Parts: sequence; C-alpha cells; structure tokens
Amino acid sequence: MPNQDRQHPAFYAVLVTLVFMAVGPICLMFINSFKLDVDILSGTSGLLFMPTLQNYETALCDVLPYEPDHLEYCSLKIGGSFTNSLIISIVSTALTLVIGCMAAYALVRFRFMGRDVASMTTLAVRMLPPAVLLVPVFGLWNNEFCIDKDSFVGELIRDTFGGRGDICLAGTHSGIILVYIAMNLPFVIWILQSFIVQVPRQLEEAARMDGAGPFQVFFLVVLPLIRPGLAAAAIFAFRIAWNEYLLASALSDRDTKTVPILIVNNMSEFNIEWGVIMATGMLLAIPPIIFTLLASRQIITGMTAGAVKG
Amino acid sequence: MYHDADTERLGMPRIELSKLAKRYGDIEVLHGIDLAMEENEFTVLVGPSGCGKSTTLRMIAGLETVSGGEIFIDGKPVSHLEPKARDLAMVFQDYALYPHMDVARNMSFALRLQKVPQPEIDRKVRDVAEILGLTPFLNRKPAELSGGQRQRVAMGRALTRDSSTFLFDEPLSNLDAKLRGQMRAELALMSQRVQKNMIYVTHDQIEAMTLADRIVVMHGGHIQQQGTPEELFKRPANKFVAGFLGMPPMNFLDGELRQDGDALCVIGDGFRVALPEALADRCQQRNGNGVVLGVRPSDLSLDADGSADETQRFALDVVVTEYIGAQSVLICNCASQRMVVELKSDVPVGLGQRMHFKINPEGIHLFDADTDAAI
Repeated sequence: MPNQDRQHPAFYAVLVTLVFMAVGPICLMFINSFKLDVDILSGTSGLLFMPTLQNYETALCDVLPYEPDHLEYCSLKIGGSFTNSLIISIVSTALTLVIGCMAAYALVRFRFMGRDVASMTTLAVRMLPPAVLLVPVFGLWNNEFCIDKDSFVGELIRDTFGGRGDICLAGTHSGIILVYIAMNLPFVIWILQSFIVQVPRQLEEAARMDGAGPFQVFFLVVLPLIRPGLAAAAIFAFRIAWNEYLLASALSDRDTKTVPILIVNNMSEFNIEWGVIMATGMLLAIPPIIFTLLASRQIITGMTAGAVKG
Repeated sequence: MYHDADTERLGMPRIELSKLAKRYGDIEVLHGIDLAMEENEFTVLVGPSGCGKSTTLRMIAGLETVSGGEIFIDGKPVSHLEPKARDLAMVFQDYALYPHMDVARNMSFALRLQKVPQPEIDRKVRDVAEILGLTPFLNRKPAELSGGQRQRVAMGRALTRDSSTFLFDEPLSNLDAKLRGQMRAELALMSQRVQKNMIYVTHDQIEAMTLADRIVVMHGGHIQQQGTPEELFKRPANKFVAGFLGMPPMNFLDGELRQDGDALCVIGDGFRVALPEALADRCQQRNGNGVVLGVRPSDLSLDADGSADETQRFALDVVVTEYIGAQSVLICNCASQRMVVELKSDVPVGLGQRMHFKINPEGIHLFDADTDAAI
C-alpha cells in the first residue's frame, strides 16, 4: 500500500530545490548574523565559526541596558526606528482596512453612476509603480501640504515640537502613513470585494427586516462574515508597509525613519557591515511573522456555511 | 366600553394594496394590483414563477421600492417607510440565518437591536424554542443544523419578534417532499396558535390549498382570482385558475355550443356533452360560439355498464396508466385531444382499451374560447 503513494524521485528533487530556494537565504542570513565580518567575507570557514552576539549588540545598542565593549559610539537608533515602523505599519494597516471595507461594500452593493469605472480604476492605480509616485509626492509633501509657520496652528505646533520652517507632511508619520494607505487601498478593496460578493444578499435583507439600519447591517452582519478577508488584507497591507523602502527613504526624516532605511544606513562608501545588516534583518523579520501568525488564525474558510441553502 | 373598542382596533392591522405596481426600467412586472387582507387572515399568494408574487411580498416588506400605487397597513400608507418601521417579520426561502451566531442569538437578533432587556430576551427565546422544538439546539451554529431545523430557526426568528404580520417567501421550497409535508402541518398548527396576519408566497398549489384562508392566484403580474380555497376550486374565474389549482390539473377540451334537441350541448371532436340547466341558461346567447369545456379528472367516474346517457359521458382510449397507490391516473385520448382521468386502482385497465366515463354534472366548467373567462 505505501508504495502506491510514493512519488517519482524527480518530484522530491523539485521539492527540495524549492525549499532550498525559499529557506536558504533565510538560513544564510541567520548564520551570518552570528558571524564577525571577517568570517563572513573570508568565504572559507562555512559552517565552522565562533558564534558571536556582537552584531546583535551593535544593532540593538540603543536599547540594551549595558554598553557593548566593542562599540565606541552607538550610531544605530533601532529602538526609535522600530517604533516608527510599528506606528506607521499598524496605523496605515488599520486605516486601510476601515476605508477599504467600506469602499468595497459600496462598490459591491450600491448602484451608482460610474460604479464599474470606479471599481476598475482602483485596480488600475495598483498597476502604477511606486517609483513614479516618488517625485510628485515628495514635492507635494514638502511644498504644498504645509501649514504656515506664522499661522496660529503652525505656531502652536512649532512651540510644542520645536524646529524651524513651515510644518509640512514630509518627514512626519502621517505623511508616510498617507502614502501607504493610498498604495494599499486598491488591493485591499479588490480582495474585500470578492469576499463581500459571497455574503448572501438575503442575510442583509433578513437583518433589515429584523430592524437593523444600514450601519448595523454592515457592522453586525457583513463585517463578521468577511473576517477572513479582512485578515488576509491586513497581512498584505502590514507587510507592504513594514517592508517598504523607496517612499519611506524620501519622505522620512531623521526622527521618522523606518527599520529598512536604518539597515541601508549600515552601508557606506568605505564599508558594508554585513554582520550588522544580517542581524538587523533578522530582527526586522520578527514583527511580520508574529502579525501573520495572529492574523492567519482568522482565516477560516466556510464562514458563510449554513446561512442559506447551498 | 371604550377600552374594549380600543384594544379591538389595536388588534391585528389590515393590510391593503392599492393599484400596486412595479417596474424595472420600461418593463412592468406588476400591473397595479388591488388586494385587502383581513385581520388574522392567512393569505397565500400563489402562481407560477415570474408571476410577481414574490415581488409583491418584497414590496410589502419594504425590500423593493414601490413604482406605483400604495401599501396601507392599518390605513396608514407605508410605501415610503424602511422595513424596520413597518413591524413585519419575514421568513426567507433560503432561511437567511446569520452563520456567525448560534441559534439563540439568531432568534434574538431583532430583540437585541431593539435593546430589549436580557431577561426578557432569554424568556422569549426559550418560549419560542419550546414551541418549535429547538431547545436542544440553542447553542448550535446554523451550519450544524439540518435543513428542517434551519427552517424552524428561521421561523423562530420571526416568532420571537411579536410582529403583527408574518411574511413567508416560499419557506418550504428547499425541503424534501416528506419534510415539506411535515412542516406544512406544523405551520398550519402554528398559525392557528399565534393568530397573526400571515402572507405566504408559494408556487405550490397544495401548500396554498391547505394553508390558506384566502388564496390569491397571480399570473403575469395580475391577480387572476382571490377567495377561499373552496371558492377557487369550485368556481374558478378563468381557465388559468382552473388549470392551476387541483392535481392532476383540469382537462380542457375545445368545442362549440350548439342546441341539440331540447338540450344545449358542447360538441367537439369525439364528444357531445349536455350542459346542466343552470349553466345552459347562462349560455343561451352564445349558441354557436366556440368554448372550452373544463372537467376535473376527479369529476369523471367509470361507467362500467354503459348506463349513462350518451350526452353525459366520454368515450376515451387509454394511452398510459400511472399507478400511484389507491388511485391510478389514466392518460387517455378523446379523439384528437388529451384527457386525464382519476380512477380507483382496483379497476382493471388495458392499454389501448376504450372506456366510458360518466361526468359529474356539477363538475362541468365552461370558458370563453377567446377571453378564457369562466362562463
């Protein structure tokens, strides 16, 4: 009997290759994060090396309770960047979901002029490479969306947070969050549309007969049923926001830079600190993993089973 | 006693439709129907699919907009009101249970929206679950229930609400035949017990006949006839109603009215049937006109010894016999036209055999050949 289930050896060869391609770089990053730069670059030692936590100490120098011996000066502010990344990713994900689910619901259920056009356009926006957005957004965020420093509000903000010049979107968390929302919305709307379509219309009618208003129908009946879709969209939006480099590099300033940008700061004209980059990379991977594990628990199929005669 | 008069008036509201119409774009699917439902009446809207019965119900419910005419509940126009303002409970064809809530929460959804205190909600849910036999399932999700149980939950959801009027949109059509019969009986029992207005939409004439106080037969966006099941069965207003109610359906034979001796007869291909006096009196003016003769299969009985008068019987050639237990259905030829006869199964019948059937004179229906209206 077991023989019947056995596959051709080539099948296993392909599997091993795929697994190696997926896991290999991560293993390499993991191993190298425990090596000194000398070991990484020598290329001879392979798996034989003296593991060290030095790279992690360097990467985490500003949050460690002690001062590592090998460092004269702590140049990496990972604590701050990590907080920035978390704030930006979580807030942008949350807002994207809130706006996205309402927009998707409207596109699916309401009849209005230009509905199909609107639905198509959201996807078309997605086809635009972010690099195209970079220059115009940079210009707008720096020059147009500003509050005059002499105005009442501008003065108030200046007095509270300090600094010179007008208060602009560029260099703020909100500036980056806004761009990420714009970037993620089309896809989130698109995913959620396909989930909302599956919610039987009769359920909404039943809720209306039971005395629910439009918002009650949406929040008490539709939203619980598209929870898997929300989770999938959340994972997607969070990871895009967490990994994004290009726009963040242009729109953030010293105080708002995110972890990916911090990593690149380890490369300079004279030296690339591979060990530190690897260690920071490992740290960078942790939040999305935790987030994905938590969110994927919500992805259960068959949410609408039993609602109507199938 | 003013008090008594008040409570009486506050009892169950009357529902009235006045010139109610529905258009989708240029297509009118409901052509201005008028209908009045009395207090505590079990009204069944019945008709073939696409006749506008579901649309009518959904307009009463407030799920469809009204294109013309008005709906009155207790004398008040309601067509501009949201469903929740109309105080109606509805049972959907596909159950439409909230899959993320258990049975108890499904049934209490409306009450929770109304912010009814929890103890009262619990009591009502318990009472209704008791009536419907759902007590053991209160903590289950709809996905874990059978079709019949889901249908009961859907009814329970309507019952907990204490609405004045219940709307049913083909509630039994998804159940298998045996369960449907069982649920039909339960529904009849329930409607007797709760004494509310019920409006019930179905395409199944047996459901309509067994449940209804008043049947409204619809076809092509018009009301064809309304009345008690007996009225409609015995005195159909037109050929459509006659053919729609009753199983097996009524036989229709094309013929012509002609004076034959001292009796007025319908004469057609292969038959000559004398009309009973009352009917003949109504037809005097139509002598020579084309008519359609309608006879229910149950109004024909075997004339074994050939004693009946020739104008009181049909001579039919048996084509097919369908054995269905105590009764058999014979499909026969009357010259070029088809006829269906119901017969006790113990009578031996040979295929191709010519047999004589006596007509119950009460069971002769005549329809105008042009307008299809009953004469």
